[in-house]
Amino acid sequence: MSNKYEVVMCIVNGGYSEAVMDSARAAGARGGTVLNATGTANPQAERAYGITVVPNKELVMILVDESIKESVLQNLYRDVGLNTAGQGIAFTLPVGQVVGLTPVEQSATPSEVPSADTPLTEPDKTE
Amino acid sequence: MTTENTKRATTRSAPKTKRNTAKPSQKKALAPYKLMLLVTVVPRNKAEFYLDLLQNFEVNMQLEVAAFGTAVKTFGFFDTDREKQVLFSIIREDNAANALATLEDKFGTLRGGKGIAYTVPFSSMVGVSAYKFLSNKQ
Repeated sequence: MSNKYEVVMCIVNGGYSEAVMDSARAAGARGGTVLNATGTANPQAERAYGITVVPNKELVMILVDESIKESVLQNLYRDVGLNTAGQGIAFTLPVGQVVGLTPVEQSATPSEVPSADTPLTEPDKTE
Repeated sequence: MTTENTKRATTRSAPKTKRNTAKPSQKKALAPYKLMLLVTVVPRNKAEFYLDLLQNFEVNMQLEVAAFGTAVKTFGFFDTDREKQVLFSIIREDNAANALATLEDKFGTLRGGKGIAYTVPFSSMVGVSAYKFLSNKQ
């Protein structure tokens, strides 16, 4: 596994973020973050292509190792792509540096960000 | 036809303007400081702390968005643990490494403040005054 990461952005119709995560996990992704969003589209293009853009959207951000980026994108295209009910669009952005990501061997939960109840070895210094 | 071709040839071989003759090293860089988008995902109740922390690194504009983590629901894992805040901060490249190092330190020491952070480089932007504002350079 390389140490380079990329962030996968997947924009889907509202309620399909779980489907996105299931699809990404099948390709080796670990966790993601879901943001609510509102989609807009050109009304003329909607009429021309005979499609309706559902305004309620979810943006799923998934940080992945670049070695599994292709398979994650392929899975997303197949499971939640434009030809599915999720009507998803997925793309990746390059990432410079990453901090806070638990190594795979040490990850206790499948969450990208572990629980706040995780015991810490050092006492609280900042609060 | 011949005259026209001659004219074109003359135009092509005309001496270059003064602007084009400057050596690359002599050109004044329009954007000497690269910018990056720093994305920080933290528990919602710790967002204010991290926003204040990042302002110490000459970050002039930040955007915070409510979000949810995608952890599988297991025993002892509550919905409040899934509540995250995503902070988008525009930061100068030379400050990014220090900011990430400080964030990493806080992620490890602040109780209930675990998160992740990463940078995405800017490829372009428009507006000199906006650039100066975002880079915190005059």
